[in-house]
Amino acid sequence: MSAAVQASVGSGAPLLQADGVSIQFGGLKALTDFSLTIRQGDLQGLIGPNGAGKSTAFNVLTGVYQPTRGEVRVGGLRVNGLKPHQINHLGLARTFQNIRLFRALTALDNVKVACRAQGALHPHDTGFGGKAKNALANYRDWWRALLLTPRFQTEERELTRQAEHLLEVMGLSHRRDEEARNLPYGEQRRLEIARALGTKPKVLLLDEPAAGMNTREKADLMVLIRKLRDDFQLGVLVIEHDMKLVMGICEHITVLDHGETIARGAPAQVRSDRKVIEAYLGDSYLESHGGAA
Amino acid sequence: MMETPALPVPEARSPIPASLRGIFPVLVALPVLALFQWLLSESPFAVYLLSVMGVNIILAVSLNIVNGMTGQFSIGHAGFMAVGAYISGVLSLNLKEVALSFLPVAASDQVLFTVALLVGGLAAAACGFLVGLPSLRLRGDYLAIVTLGFGEIIRVVVQNTDAFGRALGLSGIPQYSSPYMVYFWVFLVVLVARRIAGSSHGRSLWAIREDEVAAEAMGVDTTGYKVRSFVISSFFAGIAGGLFAHFVPIINPGSFTFVKSMEIVVMVVLGGLGSTTGAIVAAIFLTLLPEGLRSLFNALGTEGTLAQKVDQIRMPIYGLMLVALMLSRPQGLFGMREIWDVLPRWIPRRRRGLS
Repeated sequence: MSAAVQASVGSGAPLLQADGVSIQFGGLKALTDFSLTIRQGDLQGLIGPNGAGKSTAFNVLTGVYQPTRGEVRVGGLRVNGLKPHQINHLGLARTFQNIRLFRALTALDNVKVACRAQGALHPHDTGFGGKAKNALANYRDWWRALLLTPRFQTEERELTRQAEHLLEVMGLSHRRDEEARNLPYGEQRRLEIARALGTKPKVLLLDEPAAGMNTREKADLMVLIRKLRDDFQLGVLVIEHDMKLVMGICEHITVLDHGETIARGAPAQVRSDRKVIEAYLGDSYLESHGGAA
Repeated sequence: MMETPALPVPEARSPIPASLRGIFPVLVALPVLALFQWLLSESPFAVYLLSVMGVNIILAVSLNIVNGMTGQFSIGHAGFMAVGAYISGVLSLNLKEVALSFLPVAASDQVLFTVALLVGGLAAAACGFLVGLPSLRLRGDYLAIVTLGFGEIIRVVVQNTDAFGRALGLSGIPQYSSPYMVYFWVFLVVLVARRIAGSSHGRSLWAIREDEVAAEAMGVDTTGYKVRSFVISSFFAGIAGGLFAHFVPIINPGSFTFVKSMEIVVMVVLGGLGSTTGAIVAAIFLTLLPEGLRSLFNALGTEGTLAQKVDQIRMPIYGLMLVALMLSRPQGLFGMREIWDVLPRWIPRRRRGLS
């Protein structure tokens, strides 16, 4: 198992690490012994049939759920028990399976929310000292905004510039002042990615970014994701339903079924894995076709 | 890195230098307020009505920060107003005889009044913090119930405390308030609300209103922001209460009931949740409405206990208006926009979006 973890293609220290993470809702084991390592430059896939626990895995990694067992590390820091926004400040950003934009805000403001000068100076320092420093910084920040100091105005311009840049990268410049809810579906998906990038992440988690897109759009998106990984020097983890697509772009794939990791490795390796075929196509398929494809 | 020429960032075209932009509204407002005071000093009725209107504007604009911008449904605003009114009222009563010797009497009174107001506001803000911290983790209806409960608790506490005059209320609070003072605070609360709306803090509040889960995932400390917006809102409600206590002859628990809270909620909803100018327009409208009805009835010749009659039908009228509004314009008068976003085209308008 640890060999498979080492097989990740990226370089450098692990940015995101899940180690034996399990989560249980009452009697339901939503995720069992889930492990994952993402380094800079990784483009990994997380696949599995419906209800396999993919989104649960995302929610554990981003702090929405607390793991029952195991631990999650972001940039080497243990984040169990931290709130999602604190984990985000450590460099983990995500998109949502069912688009969750700030619908009444313009595209620009959506990204600016994320770009905002990250108030917390010491997100991981949850001791008294760190909290006091954060509170003080936040207090000063409010007064700057209320007094409209030149420094505040400069910061605000800088935020606008950053957000405009991200909109441009995602090909959304023409939608700058349009309310998010009025954007076509594909553009909403791209805006979500722009927004996630606004938080200056080191690792980007994409939850079915291509859902609802046609084959061509999907292909374009995958090229874009690869480009983002290189330009922003990210580690990327993609949840995707479409096996073919994931196989095409991901260098490393983890397969979940019923909350358990049933396979992991390079696409070719995963594709021919007996358990994966069983999970996706059922064992009757295996019987009639005489074993692994 | 691009700078679209068609849509320059608004800062770039303003004629006011950046260093002065912060203080500029204050420089404009003070002389305007002085002029206002001077024009008005004749009619006590106008002074009273304008003061009530100003207090209502402060209440509506401050509640809009929580209910409109942050999307948290609080219906106990009168409770915070009561805290401010009673704390500053009691303070002024006790400091009545005190005069700062190095100042003329009138100036000394105003200084003490300001201190009393601020203490009242801070007390209300502290209550906001205490109520908000545990309850803002709740959502929707639950928060509404907690704030409703808080408002009632304050009222009951006041009703049973000797220092606050029990059910009889407090009378003899020095009448320090003036339209100048009231509208100075109106100006301040509007300035604060607008500047919050135009800053990253405001955007975080909007984000919470739109989608709390997404806001949290994008690094917004949702609980922290909700508590802060609640505290700011309570502070201004306390100030409004303090102002109120210093121009009405008597304050009693009856002034701060659930009905008063609902009145403020109606103003915010009527103006459009999230619209500061909408809250102002609605507050003005709903303050003048009973007066308008009163003169209407006078014209119709119905004599006698008119004030009571108008008061009696005010709530049904509010109710009907709310129903009518919700049916025709569910988003309120201006929705999330400000008045300059809905003005006719020929009036130069601001760029769309926040700020």
